[in-house]
Amino acid sequence: MRTLGLRLFGLIVVVAGISLITFALNHVAPGDKAMIIAHAKYPDTISFPPELLQDIRDEFHLEKPFVVQYFHWISDITKGDFGVSYASGVPVWDIFLAGLGETVTLTLSSLGLGLAGAFVLATLAVRYPGTAIDRLAIVVASIGAAMPGYWLALLLILGVSVHLGWLPAYGAGTLAQLVLPSLTLALWVMASQTRLLRSFMLDAYNQPFIETLRLRGISEREIFFSHVVPHARISALTMIGLDLAALLEGAIIIELTFARSGLGSLLGGSVLSRDLPVMMFLVMFFATAYVVINTLIDGLQAIADPRTRTLGVRR
Amino acid sequence: MTLAVFDMPSPRKSPLIQFAGWVGIALVFLAALFVIALWLTPYDPAQADFRNRLSAPDATNWFGSDHLGRDIATRLLHGIVWSLGLSFAIATVGLLVGTMVGLVAARSGRVADFALMRTTDSFFAFPELVAAVAFAGLFGPSTTNLVIALCIVSWMKFARLARSLAHGLDERDFVIQARLNGLSPRLILWRHILPNVVPSLLVLWTNAWSRTILSVSALSFLGFGVQPPTAEWGAMLLDGKPYMQTAPHIMIFPGLAVLVSVLAINLVGDRLRDLLAARDTN
Repeated sequence: MRTLGLRLFGLIVVVAGISLITFALNHVAPGDKAMIIAHAKYPDTISFPPELLQDIRDEFHLEKPFVVQYFHWISDITKGDFGVSYASGVPVWDIFLAGLGETVTLTLSSLGLGLAGAFVLATLAVRYPGTAIDRLAIVVASIGAAMPGYWLALLLILGVSVHLGWLPAYGAGTLAQLVLPSLTLALWVMASQTRLLRSFMLDAYNQPFIETLRLRGISEREIFFSHVVPHARISALTMIGLDLAALLEGAIIIELTFARSGLGSLLGGSVLSRDLPVMMFLVMFFATAYVVINTLIDGLQAIADPRTRTLGVRR
Repeated sequence: MTLAVFDMPSPRKSPLIQFAGWVGIALVFLAALFVIALWLTPYDPAQADFRNRLSAPDATNWFGSDHLGRDIATRLLHGIVWSLGLSFAIATVGLLVGTMVGLVAARSGRVADFALMRTTDSFFAFPELVAAVAFAGLFGPSTTNLVIALCIVSWMKFARLARSLAHGLDERDFVIQARLNGLSPRLILWRHILPNVVPSLLVLWTNAWSRTILSVSALSFLGFGVQPPTAEWGAMLLDGKPYMQTAPHIMIFPGLAVLVSVLAINLVGDRLRDLLAARDTN
């Protein structure tokens, strides 16, 4: 329980740190915030009366000290008020919910595809070591990890969409539009997980208990599924948590390259139009999601592997 | 039995030194390529030649020319300094800052350690790309802002690794022996801790370098980093994207350059890791 309490306290401290970094960055950014808000509200106007700018400064507490502004912002957030988009006047939360679905669909589908591919490839590589399939697994892992996602996306658009005309190149919403983005991201997941699963499985096969099981006459199939896979699963779980940031980054690149709607496109769009509330919320969301999911994965790992439960106590 | 306390690994005899030599040679080779690009190619990376637009690869333009008639091979060579050079610098900043933070945390009391490591966690939570995109949004997209943003989020992995390695070394016999012999903490840090954490940190550094190449080129491709007409490989892709149907070579070669360099650096890192593992088992 003490470990759990410390973890939760650490999590709260980290999230507070995230909010402070985000707000500080926003605070030191150049430009008159009142002008930015006015420009976003009235995009066709060039000059603004000083009274309007003063009203905006009062409304958004822009003339208060940094700490006061920060606490205004935080207390709004704790009340569930994430602000209103400068550009569209729509609450940030609604914009976020509209984009969340597409990003979750893309991330989970490519995670599933990639993990399935990695499991098959790693299994074959471990069961037939030194053969062509083993070398293929290493080549796929090496090239997939070095592949720039946006470039693979362009190659797929050129080959599959333009030349073959099989699948749509851009947009989101239909299953056909999901295939290419999902495959692009899945290759990266598959590359990193193939390498790890392969080494974790080899590690499992090197344990002395495997030899004992063989001597007791247990079939290779049962050894693999009942002993090697559970062993590798625990290690793989941790790595998924560590690779999560890379997966989110990949999703942002893929969304922007394929012009898909989603959180990545929202982030890119808010940056281009300097829609600060949307941008700050998304930055906060990506960072918070990363730490929360990682904490959850640590928890899952404690359930899956009793040995790790005590590890948190040391130091 | 009496020899057991002297289990300090001797870094001087390890193949790591030879390996460092190879890395050095590779870097010199890259630098030489850049010099060749500067002095020996007949083309200027920024010189437009409209009579020679979008020409396919041939004997005069090895990798073809782009939509302004600029020689792609020349631009790729000039891009080494942007795509590989910037990320080299960013990864190195991360290595130095992170090692310092990690070692300081490992040497401080509980409260300072907690504060430093939770700060590290807070920074760690920002995916590099999100941080860099947001930074470009707040301060404007440019090469300088890209480098600043990526440097801010470059050091956390090094800090975590340096701290945990230093903690592990504290319990090793040769460090205990040094402490019992009355060596000052600073000397222990310089003579015993640092030489033993550096190799693992270098493995991480190769990894950080290749990842940063991908980030720099991706951000430039998306328009949040190095801006065209600078010959950064991602920016070249952004530049050539509208012409990719009629002249695919315009986008194939810059991407291939990214792929090959990241692959090469990853392979170097893998080799270094293998050498380390071999040293540790001996």
